Amino acid sequence: MNRPLIIEHIQNAYHSLKITRLRTVLTTAGVAIGVATITTVLSLSGGVTQVIAGQVTALGGNITVVRPGTPTKGLEGFTNPTTEQTYTTSTITEQDYDNILDIKGVESAAPLMIINSSLKSSSNTVRNGTIVATTPDLADIAQLPLRDGQFIDSVTNKNTAVIGTKLSIDLFGTDQPIGQTFTAGGQQFTIIGVFKTMNNPINFNSVDFDHAAVLSLEGGKSFHQGIAQIQQIDIKAKSKKDLPDVIKRVDASLTNSHLGEKDFSILSGNAIAQPANRFFAAITFIMTLIAGISLVVGGVGIMNIMLVGVAERTREIGLRKAVGASNGNIIVQFLVESLIISAFGGLLGYIGGYAIAFMISTFLTFNPAFSWQVVLAAFGTSIIVGGVFGLYPALRAARKDPIESLRHYH
Amino acid sequence: MAKKKTPTPPVIELRGLTKRYGMGDAEQTALDTIDLQIEKGEFIAIMGPSGCGKTTLLNILGLLDRASDGEYFLDGKTIERMSAARHARIRSQQIGFVFQSFNLINRLSVIENVALPLAYKGMSRMRRLKQASDSLKNFHLSEREYYMPWQLSGGQMQRVAIARALVNDPSIILADEPTGNLDSKASHIIMEELSDLHKRGNTIIMVTHNPDLTTYASRVIRMLDGQIDSDTKIPIKIEDPAAKVSLSSRRTKPTKPAKKTKLKAKKK
Repeated sequence: MNRPLIIEHIQNAYHSLKITRLRTVLTTAGVAIGVATITTVLSLSGGVTQVIAGQVTALGGNITVVRPGTPTKGLEGFTNPTTEQTYTTSTITEQDYDNILDIKGVESAAPLMIINSSLKSSSNTVRNGTIVATTPDLADIAQLPLRDGQFIDSVTNKNTAVIGTKLSIDLFGTDQPIGQTFTAGGQQFTIIGVFKTMNNPINFNSVDFDHAAVLSLEGGKSFHQGIAQIQQIDIKAKSKKDLPDVIKRVDASLTNSHLGEKDFSILSGNAIAQPANRFFAAITFIMTLIAGISLVVGGVGIMNIMLVGVAERTREIGLRKAVGASNGNIIVQFLVESLIISAFGGLLGYIGGYAIAFMISTFLTFNPAFSWQVVLAAFGTSIIVGGVFGLYPALRAARKDPIESLRHYH
Repeated sequence: MAKKKTPTPPVIELRGLTKRYGMGDAEQTALDTIDLQIEKGEFIAIMGPSGCGKTTLLNILGLLDRASDGEYFLDGKTIERMSAARHARIRSQQIGFVFQSFNLINRLSVIENVALPLAYKGMSRMRRLKQASDSLKNFHLSEREYYMPWQLSGGQMQRVAIARALVNDPSIILADEPTGNLDSKASHIIMEELSDLHKRGNTIIMVTHNPDLTTYASRVIRMLDGQIDSDTKIPIKIEDPAAKVSLSSRRTKPTKPAKKTKLKAKKK
């Protein structure tokens, strides 16, 4: 061969697919559905990761967090997340927080003690409200903007609280709650500040500050017999450059104080997003599984239709061989056809998947992510499906005996 | 291709060619130690009753099938040890097939059908269509170029098939009952075309049942039970002037020699 026949094969495939238009469209749809599911899922979960990674970068890229529990990796991370330990005692102690503050290169740190409690004002009750007990540094590390009043600081009373605008409206029916009081865990807290609406429920603190009340660490400890139950420590390094060293030192220090037991994990960069989108990760896993099944079904559809095509064109195959087509030419001819079906299905699925993702995202606070990984996943899987399921029919076509094929009648 | 080596070996040489089907008790010998030499420019008619092995011989000559035993030299080269891919290339470059049932691809237009063998030679689409168009012109089918096969009569389809067999300028043309599906009028037109090709120097091997058609051939091989029963060379072609006149009057246009030379020049 002086010249690859790929253009001829594509033209040829185009012709034969056009003639069997209906079944081509149906087979394409089979692949498109699978790819659409993958695209939707990946773009949405990518969106979550992007939101959090974006926050970390926006905050200077010098943030790392310590969470209780051993780091989870791979599939286990989806199916058996160990980071959330609502009903057990956290492995991170107030002592750890104090130690971290002394580590070289750490500019500031803030512990987060997250308490689920119902909040009562004189008029309303918010069940399952979120209370975050922390230190004044959190406002700086997480850059929580205040609309009115002040954040907790070293001199504020432990019975003071800063709340989010939406919680304020839920509790008091107004967004001007300063000076009002609410009761939680049998104690009364006075509101000294209110956050700006952030509309940012997905963040690396896993707290929707619009719906949360922030107390001092002392205030939080009173919910747990004076012991801090720290779910996360946010650490801000002096600069982005220092971050890897800071992580190493924090790791060494905590391992030492935990007597060599690695019952914590230190996360930075995109990994911070992982537990926060645990919910999405679980959905991603299940949906990817479904998408995988539907892709296999789509692939079986391709194989089926290609086998029909090969049987229908037995004489053509015989003739092509008689006029000089090698087995390789025949394989490529049919493989190109199945690849065109699957690639076209991939394209439609990709577009359709984003359309669905955008429709879903109107109910969410973030947009689906556009990334080359999604493109790769969509087209990679469709091409693989087309190749794998198209190969057998193509081989079968190539193996046909030309004499038998030419004798074949329809 | 073979034209340049005229003084050297015959186009086809078979030595003790044998083809067996089945195995053990069910073994059947389709071809029994056939020795045969075919020179360039011969028009051979292979005759014989059904099942005598004519088609098997043609398939082996066309490299669609492999012999069980014996040797086959094509243009002086043995083909036994060549790969399937090499066989495909020889089919593409040196062999043109004409079938009883035409075997045109229905979803391709006439010109695309004719251009098909050229694709496997790796020619660009433009050049393919141009060459196919030239080939069709020789068979007076220029105005049918963009017809679909099912819009043609049987005789026209077979002419398209011959145009296809010739488009890549093969050194041998193999025809398996080329007139088997045609009425006598169309048969004669087809045979005139083949005879014309023969006069232009092409080697043609034709399998037929019809003894009338042997009048066009330069050599008649009769086969019986897988063996060559008789091999008659017809040194001077028997011309039937009356038939010739009536046939040419039926044709739309006589073949112009000027065009032929032009076509040959283009192919070079």
